[in-house]
Amino acid sequence: MKRIQRYKKTIAMSAAALSLLVGLTLESSMAYFTTYVSAGGSHVVNLDARTEIHESVSNLTKHLTLENISTKGDCFVRVKVFHGAQVKVDIYDAEGGNNWYKGNETDAYGSYWYYRPVLPIGGTTTGLDIKIDVTDLLKDPNFMKPEDPNAEWIKDKFNVVVVQECTPVIYGENGEATADWNTIYTDFVEVEGGEEAGN
Amino acid sequence: MKKRRRASNNKKVTYLLLALAVILLLGSAVGSTRAALTYQSQNYEAEIIVSQIGVTLLENGEEVSRRDYNQTEWEEETNVKESPKKGALLTKMIPEGKKLVLNKDYKEELAVTNSGTIDEYVRVRIYRSWKDKDGKKETTLSPDLIRLNLVNTDKWIERENHSKECIELYYKGILPSGKTSELFADKIRIDGSIAEAVEVREEVKDGKKTGVITMVYKYDGVQFFVDVDVDAVQTHNAKDAIMSSWGVDASNVDGKGNSIL
Repeated sequence: MKRIQRYKKTIAMSAAALSLLVGLTLESSMAYFTTYVSAGGSHVVNLDARTEIHESVSNLTKHLTLENISTKGDCFVRVKVFHGAQVKVDIYDAEGGNNWYKGNETDAYGSYWYYRPVLPIGGTTTGLDIKIDVTDLLKDPNFMKPEDPNAEWIKDKFNVVVVQECTPVIYGENGEATADWNTIYTDFVEVEGGEEAGN
Repeated sequence: MKKRRRASNNKKVTYLLLALAVILLLGSAVGSTRAALTYQSQNYEAEIIVSQIGVTLLENGEEVSRRDYNQTEWEEETNVKESPKKGALLTKMIPEGKKLVLNKDYKEELAVTNSGTIDEYVRVRIYRSWKDKDGKKETTLSPDLIRLNLVNTDKWIERENHSKECIELYYKGILPSGKTSELFADKIRIDGSIAEAVEVREEVKDGKKTGVITMVYKYDGVQFFVDVDVDAVQTHNAKDAIMSSWGVDASNVDGKGNSIL
């Protein structure tokens, strides 16, 4: 027992030297063949949409087009026409084609008119005409002709308001472009007691 | 006198052990020298094929990044001349002159080729992340909005990890030398919900509406990143090799009892 005590330090050092030696020889047997490669990529997501409505009136017909003035994103557009009760309107594709079509919404404000093609960056829709029929208005005994100096208030009754809406282009499983009209951007704001509309 | 003798005995034992250690050390060195000497021959020339491991990442059938061991050194090559270590992905994702479209599927076929001379086990780690306009990490956008469509899920076993950014896939079975794996992804798309955070502004000039509406998107200008790391390891003593190299139990990679061995 005393002997073991005597050689304690030496044995410990020798054991350490041996384990170091074993460790050195083990290193080579624990190495495995491995390799690796890596790669990466990225893209910027540009999100932007700006549309502008162009309107002109001639012969009691409102001619309108919508322009995508965004520099980043394509979109779909639609419009809704608001008018007084004594005014009737007839809405149709100005070029007689089928770019514009009437939706089948049946809410209190009537239907939307949809522009079928994708409106690309910088693109302008074909025309949509709104023919205003004032026959009923003319029958109104209170109606005054526009040249009448007191006829300013009549403008409100005469006014036909167009509201534009747009939505980003969404692509389906097969790459077809579709519009998600649940995600709309509109200049129409509903207010208590009626509606307020831009343009 | 007794003390002096004891000290002398101690020294003797130490020297003895030291001599033993030196002999063992020399023995192992001589072993390898002897092996080298027997290899040489004046009469015969023999070509020895050394086990060479190698792996290549493919994108849409084209090599993106390759790293093979060739005789005495690593051969590294990528599709970017200036960057021999890291290849470039998604370079042809968007046609020239076009812009990225949300919710649109873009072809992104990813696979791995065993470009070495020995069979191997393979794993792939895919990292998806966002950065804002200023290049800072955008943490309010989920990596899941970068939809990389994973395929052949019976061949590529997904291992759950704690990071949403990282997807770990393990190729089931051996990828033989010279062979290309089944695809692990085939298309990529950016989820359209990124465009839902938007504010609509209507231009007003001199108190009148100009007829222009602008949508200001919260995430306009963000950048998405996809990084792919591919690891390969020898098939000999595979279980230990995989555990040692990747820290994964190959007989139960996904914690659901799926083995890749």
